[in-house]
Amino acid sequence: MNNTTTIPGIKKRFVPLKIFIVVLVFVGLGLFPFMSGNRFYISMINEMMIYGLLAMSLDVLLGYTGALSFMHNAYLGISAYVVGLFLIHISPASLWMACFAGIIFTSIVALPVGWVQVRTGGLAFALLTLAFGMMFHTIVWKWYDVTGGDDGLMGMPNPDITLFGWKLGSTGDPLAMYLFTLVIAAICFFLTRRIINSPFGAVLEAIRENEDRASFIGINVRRYKLLGWMLACLLAGISGALFILYKGYIGPSTMSAFAGAGVLMMVLLGGLGSLWGAFVGAAIFIYIQDYISTMTEHWEIFLGLVVIFLVLFLPTGFVGLGDHLKRFRKG
Amino acid sequence: MAELLYTENLCRRFGGVMATNKVCFSVNDHGLTSIIGPNGAGKTTFINIVTGKIPASSGKIFFKGNDITNKPTHDLVKMGICRTFQINSIFEDLSVFENLRIAKQAKNGGSLRIFSSKQSLRTVTEETWELLEHLGLKDLAIRPAKNLAYGDQRVLEVAIAMAGNPKILFLDEPTAGMSPTETKHISKLIKELSKKICVVLVEHDMDMIMSISDKITVLQYGSTIAEGTPEEIRNNQQVREAYLGKEE
Repeated sequence: MNNTTTIPGIKKRFVPLKIFIVVLVFVGLGLFPFMSGNRFYISMINEMMIYGLLAMSLDVLLGYTGALSFMHNAYLGISAYVVGLFLIHISPASLWMACFAGIIFTSIVALPVGWVQVRTGGLAFALLTLAFGMMFHTIVWKWYDVTGGDDGLMGMPNPDITLFGWKLGSTGDPLAMYLFTLVIAAICFFLTRRIINSPFGAVLEAIRENEDRASFIGINVRRYKLLGWMLACLLAGISGALFILYKGYIGPSTMSAFAGAGVLMMVLLGGLGSLWGAFVGAAIFIYIQDYISTMTEHWEIFLGLVVIFLVLFLPTGFVGLGDHLKRFRKG
Repeated sequence: MAELLYTENLCRRFGGVMATNKVCFSVNDHGLTSIIGPNGAGKTTFINIVTGKIPASSGKIFFKGNDITNKPTHDLVKMGICRTFQINSIFEDLSVFENLRIAKQAKNGGSLRIFSSKQSLRTVTEETWELLEHLGLKDLAIRPAKNLAYGDQRVLEVAIAMAGNPKILFLDEPTAGMSPTETKHISKLIKELSKKICVVLVEHDMDMIMSISDKITVLQYGSTIAEGTPEEIRNNQQVREAYLGKEE
């Protein structure tokens, strides 16, 4: 059995190229703020990375587990509020403790929600995510004493970003925050990639492909769907912590169903099941939102047009572009 | 010989219809038992109950002496009760190799390893290759399952169930829609398998049933109407009536 232990992977030859591109993008993004002092772009890319992380967490759920969440932004919101409240009321300087609290709290909320949701499938699952998401939105919106209601959470302190005594800068400093987001997003991306390519990830893919058959090869489908859900919510929680640190503010509209549809659009724009596609989708979305909204306040119209164009001509999203072009050339 | 699996008065009601009506069925730890019967006799329903796809309305199922009635499917599979489906149920977008690898992995464990690679499950990979080789699917290993010819998908369907190293394997019309050559190939495979484990076969192809079965159970309107060797079934008056109608 010497030659049979290796998996015949046509893809394998391209892996070094892929790693090279990813490293290049990472280094390029890292150097960007030092080459261009344009605050607008630094801030925009920062937001792209945060929403990219959120979109990636939804891709884990939709592209790999095959479960649709309409309002994944709810878990970004919950985490962001908790991190904000922690910094305002408990300890204004404990950045890591606050992030930890936010992520843990998000997971605690997500667990019973997931427990209920995995008992359903397909459309029922998607509708439950919408129901729970709207519930969380309303709680945040109406609980004025704690969340600030419509006004949002204000008076966020700017803690320093420190690690083992080494100080990067304050979260109020756009450059420091940009680099912090980049590093965290990159770590999350690589870890998630690793998880997706693990035996655990293979189980998620099997569930996406054929839930019924998955249970007939001995997979406890509900349990693994719940684990996939928890992973997605954990990542959303991380993006939420980054979000509030970057913005210094969060309002209930971030947790609205409209914003939830936006996250879903990011994933579809980028293409399902690649992880990096989610970042590309988020970048396109944020670019349209931020750039075109400087010209007209009706930016949603342009976004709508782009989405319609993509659905019609590139249904697999940005990640399918390569295959699409190849076929186009040959055809 | 001790019975590997048996049912006691197994019933399943769909509204007012008794799809399975007081079925008492038993099989030993190896050999080939066929279940036949006219369309709508409740053959697939019976398999669905025993393999945990749908719950029983009443009655009990025992496996190795333990009550396994209405246990979740994945637990039954872990015990060694596997099945195939009448309509192909495979992981379409995954490669043939991955189809079998994931089934092996589910059987052997290691699914909770989140930071190691799939290839790190050495035994799983090796056993998958052995199975691919045994079934003659090795050349198709990297093809997406959906791109396979129908006959090969049918073999894959059986292979996925075999990957779980079952002690008892339920095959729901494995040769449905296959060419005569393919049917021959798969019936040889089934016969071979039944020397080591218990195989329960649901089929419409009478030639095949009569030539390879050790024992046949005949169902009609959800009830067992006859049981015996192929020879006994062939000469059974009640079975003839069920299939051909009563002679005036």
